[in-house]
Amino acid sequence: TGGHTTEILRLLSCLSESYSPRHYVLADSDKMSEAKIRSFEQKRAETFSKSQFSLDRIPRSREVRQSWISSVVTTLYSILYSFPLTYKRKPDLILCNGPGTCVPVCLSAFLLGLLRIKRTIIVYVESICRVETLSLSGKILYYFSDYFIVQWPDLKKKYPKSVYLGRIV
Amino acid sequence: FRFKDSLAEELQSADLVISHAGAGSCLETLEKGKPLIVVINDKLMDNHQLELAKQLHRDGYVLYCNCSTLVETVQSMNLSALKPFPPGQPEKFASFLDKVFGL
Repeated sequence: TGGHTTEILRLLSCLSESYSPRHYVLADSDKMSEAKIRSFEQKRAETFSKSQFSLDRIPRSREVRQSWISSVVTTLYSILYSFPLTYKRKPDLILCNGPGTCVPVCLSAFLLGLLRIKRTIIVYVESICRVETLSLSGKILYYFSDYFIVQWPDLKKKYPKSVYLGRIV
Repeated sequence: FRFKDSLAEELQSADLVISHAGAGSCLETLEKGKPLIVVINDKLMDNHQLELAKQLHRDGYVLYCNCSTLVETVQSMNLSALKPFPPGQPEKFASFLDKVFGL
């Protein structure tokens, strides 16, 4: 979604072409992100001609302020949906920054790791908006990610296993 | 206007921006080097939005008020006291990832 997409594209901006092909996963209800992504990739293709990317959509795990109980149900549904997608792509790296959409994808990848099907490195970057507290996605993925990056020092203190690189977006 | 894809044009020509505490709005404005007053909406308050606005204010990048104190804030503001906002460094992230993958 909006802010998350802008942030993640900024994170991608300095990555070399080793990080290719890029598979973007979006919530089905997200209208604006696709245009931003295509524009980013188009510009990128001007510099790196062999640049490749794809876009996939999954059902949104949770609406803003959705109740706990129904969130568990919708997230389970999203996991069921994203597991085959993650299995198909078998990514070496998952990079995410916090929308609910990322949780089922990361959990699917984690599961694939447990099943010894594919070992994916999960890198979570908490949004720049999160200064003192983690988002719900962050609270969950703190335990499932390989690298958990925060952008403010207070969070580094509270979550000692996290990585602090300063502001990166 | 209601919704535009981008406020970049308006931002470019503005001398002062008064905005809600949304991260996108705040950061976009600060990156364009425009002075910013963040207005916290007590009713629509999303606590996490507040975190960034408070931090930006603590660091001296923005002014900060709520709907009822907006007028006096604008009347008494000292914009030159605001610090310039340094850009984020995605290259640090790229280096970090490269190290993870041994690139």
